[in-house]
Parts: sequence; C-alpha cells; structure tokens
Amino acid sequence: MKIEEIKELVDFILSKQVEEFEIEVEGLRLKLVKPKPEVKVVEAAQLPASQALSQEPRKEESEEKVHYITAPMIGTFYRAPDPSSPPFVKEGDHVNKGDVVCIIEAMKLMNEVEADVSGVIKEVLVENAQPVEFGQKLFAIIPDND
Amino acid sequence: MIKKLLIANRGEIALRIMASAKELGIKTVVVFSEADRDSMPVQLADEAYCIGPAKPQDSYLNMAAVMSAAEISGADAIHPGYGFLSENPRFAEIVEAEGLIFVGPSPQHIKLMGDKQRARRTMEELGVPVLPGSEGVVTRVGEARRIAEKIGYPIILKAVAGGGGRGMRIINSPAELEENFKTAQREAYLAFNSQDLYIEKYIERAHHVEVQIIGDGERVIAVGDRECSMQRRHQKIVEEAPSPFISQQTREKMLTTVERAAERLGLRSLVTFEFLVDEDENFYFIEANTRIQVEHPITEQVTGLDLVKEQILIASGEKLSFSREDVKPFGHAIEARINAEDPRSFAPSPGRIQFLFLPGGNGIRVDTAVFQGYEIPPFYDSMIAKLIAYGRNREEALHKLEVALHHTSIVGVKTNLPLLLSLLKSPQFRSGNYTTRFLEEEFIW
Repeated sequence: MKIEEIKELVDFILSKQVEEFEIEVEGLRLKLVKPKPEVKVVEAAQLPASQALSQEPRKEESEEKVHYITAPMIGTFYRAPDPSSPPFVKEGDHVNKGDVVCIIEAMKLMNEVEADVSGVIKEVLVENAQPVEFGQKLFAIIPDND
Repeated sequence: MIKKLLIANRGEIALRIMASAKELGIKTVVVFSEADRDSMPVQLADEAYCIGPAKPQDSYLNMAAVMSAAEISGADAIHPGYGFLSENPRFAEIVEAEGLIFVGPSPQHIKLMGDKQRARRTMEELGVPVLPGSEGVVTRVGEARRIAEKIGYPIILKAVAGGGGRGMRIINSPAELEENFKTAQREAYLAFNSQDLYIEKYIERAHHVEVQIIGDGERVIAVGDRECSMQRRHQKIVEEAPSPFISQQTREKMLTTVERAAERLGLRSLVTFEFLVDEDENFYFIEANTRIQVEHPITEQVTGLDLVKEQILIASGEKLSFSREDVKPFGHAIEARINAEDPRSFAPSPGRIQFLFLPGGNGIRVDTAVFQGYEIPPFYDSMIAKLIAYGRNREEALHKLEVALHHTSIVGVKTNLPLLLSLLKSPQFRSGNYTTRFLEEEFIW
C-alpha cells in the first residue's frame, strides 16, 4: 500500500462509527483504535497525607448541581448525637437549611453542623467516627430547585 | 522519648523542626491552613491536617484546632516554632494539661518573660543589668514626667504586653511626653488589650546583642551571642555570630551573667536574652524570647550544635548532653534574611516564584521552604529564605555571603536581595561597628 492509500483509508475509518479496525494487506498490518476519553488515575499513596485522608468520591458528578456540606473545623465526625441514636440524616433524606446533619467533636466539645442549604442528601462521604479536616466534604446534597 | 511530634507552624521553621525530629526517629505531624495546602511541610510530614482558613487567627493561632489535630493524630508533643502560639503561656498550659509535651520553656516562664516589666524586675533581682526606668507600670503622665527627669531624656515608653519591637515610643522632651503619653496608652490597649506602659532610658547609639541559652531545668549553658543590630522597624535583617562589636571580656561577662540568672530561674529549653549594648559596652537586659529564634542557625554554625535537636531531647526529659567547656565556638557566621518585598518601599510582594536558584557549597546553608512554582501567600510573614554563610573568620564569612547572594536568583516576586548586597558592601557594615539606627537612618543606597 502506498502512503496516500493508507491516509485515505485512515480518514475513511475515522469518519465511521467504529471503535476498532484491523486490516492485513500484502504483509502490512494496520490497526486503528479510536482514543477513549482520558481517565486520570491518581494513586492515593502519591497524595500528601492531608489529601489521602479526604478520600473524595471520584465518581462522575453527572448531576448538574451538587452542593457539598464541608467540615467547619478539624475533629471527629459523628453521624448521630450518641452511639445508640439513629443518624441525623441518611442518604435520600430531605433536609432543610439549618437542620443538624452531623456532629464534629473537637477538644471534647460536640459541635453541631447544620445544613447550609435545603435539599436531598445524595451521599454521606465520611464514615462515622472518622477524623475530618477543616474544609473536608462531608455530605453531597442536591439542593431544592427554588 | 517523644514518639510523634506535631509542628504547629509553617514555612522554613516547620521544615527545620521536622528535620531534627526525623533525625531522632520521631514521627512528624504538621497542621496547615487552606493557604498552605501545597507547601513543602505538608508534603514532607508523615501526616498533615488542615485546621482552618488562611487567616492566622482561624488556623495557626486557633488553639482548639491545633489541639484537635494533636488528638486525632495521636501526637505526644507539640513544637510551636516561632511566632504564632510559641510564646502564648495559655497554649503551653493547655498542651500540658492535655498530657502532652510542650517543646519550650514552662508556661510559668513564658508568662514571666511575656510580662516585660516583671521580666525586667526579675532579671534585676538576679543580678542582670537593666536600663534605668520606672519601677512598675506608669499610669499618669505626671508620674512619667518625674521618672523621665530622674533618668534623663530621651526615654522610651513601652507597652507592658508588647514585644518584638511593637508598642514602643521614643520621647525626647517633656513636651513630647505630654503629647504622646495618652496616645501610647491607647495604642497599647488596641494592640495588646492592656494600656499598661513602663518607662526606660533610651540609648541613642545602641547595639542589639543577644545571648542564646539552653537549659534542662537544672543546668543552663549560654552557648553564644549574636549581633542583631541590622534592623528595620525592629525587624532583624542580618545577624552575625559572634558579635563583631563587643570585646571578648564583655562577651564572657554577658554569657556568665545570663547563665547564672537563667540557672537560678531553672529555665529549660531554648531562651534568648536580648540586650542593648552602649558605646562603652555596658549591656542592659531588654527582654527574653522563650522560643527558637529565626537566627538560631548562626549559633549552630559556629558551635556545631543542633539547637532544635537539643531542644527536642530536653523536652523528651533528657538532660543536657554537653557542658559549657564542650562549647568551643569557632569562626564566624552571618545570616541574611531574604524577604519577598520591594527593597525600597518594603511593601510585601506575594506571588508565584517563576524561577528559583538557591546557592550552596562550602560554608553556605540555606533554610527555606520555597521552591520554583511556589505561590507565596499574602497572609503571612514575607521572609522566604535564610542564607547563612560560615567562614573561619568574619572576612571570609562576608565574602562567602556576598558570593552566595550574587548566586541567588528569584524571579516572579520582588525581593530584598539588592538591599542585602548593597548592605554587605557598605563600609560601616564591613567595619562591624553599626548600631540599631544604621539601616533606617544612616544607610544610603
């Protein structure tokens, strides 16, 4: 095959809805694979401790608007007022702005954290009784429309 | 021995402390503000915790956040570095009350030295010369006038709760005193939450010489002196060890006096005694700093000691590992502080360092935490590096420092490098006889 022919062939294949294409002519093998959208992989071990601690979900946030409730202080995250009580909120719950969503214990003081918007809890991002840093995302919330 | 040390500081001093801790096999934890997420201490510590927003009050000065990080990380000791919480007796108390080790002097000693008037009185009682001045707090201008007449003008009005060069006013005449007394009280109140003032004789041509001590609570060793007269608005820019101004005889006398007083107080850890030295080499105690000093490396270079390591060992409960006789200073060291600031207006120049080259080689030590691409945040001190030159004598140290400064390249932010280079060339600096007024009033470039 001549260079010109190969060029033509490649252009033709690329114009079609084909992911992979392979051809063998006169001892020449040509394989085309369309590039996929790039996925960036970050090793947790390479991150500084601070970032490794805040393991944020790497899921695609396809919802147009997700709001995060973040930790207003460093401390220990508790989902319930005490071990025997049910959690303040769980996934799927609707919360109003000002509702208590969790407790952060710092210096033996229990600090109530309130929702800063009204909406539906999409995900709880931290396990109960885990340390959280200042600014760490705690809840993903889908705010009410109005 | 301390197992896990939380460093409640940032920048070069956080790295400096970390290096000694790691050398001793101690795990390190740093706390940081949102503005310091990409800083070297955060990258290099075994653990790092964000404790608040950029503003120091909300992060590095937030005791609850620091203590919370200590609890979460399981640190058994806290090193406060310099600035921030380092000289806050309340913080030291809280650390100890929580059963942790505070790497520094006892809360009582921090408190004593933090009250400038009480510190002065205590030093006087322990045989350390102090400047003539008021016995205690002066509340009325009439009283101030009587004292001023007794000791003679000029005098200096100082805030009891002040320090580090803040809260001071020089008064040259009775008229100036009338005019300034109330304002100084109000200023002191606004800055330090206490309007208490005291009076000291003002020495016009003074050298600032300080003595570094290290103590284990029983024994104290004065490890050396430093000349810190090169200042602007009481901020030191160049420091030397030993002082090129005082005679060996004065040095011996200063070290012995301080050592004796500090031992009687039972000081532990690192403490620096600051003195004013007049033209006739009379020395007067001004204040004591109960923390590691920015300029500690020059003492390390001439003594061969690792002051931070000693400090950590003492905090761990060990006794001093050496005696006064073991301290054999040799040679001369000079430190130049490189600040990200306009060399003429002194306006801070935060921003991204686009290109960076730092010198090294024989006799050169650089203490820094910046790197190429680093964004200097606007929230903190403008000092970005300390360049320390060591030579067998002052002449050699001067030459090495000059070459090293020439070999330093920082692009992207303004720095005081031109000022430092020009200073090194000035005949007065070369002579080794310059007072605290030199940089501000006499130096022309």
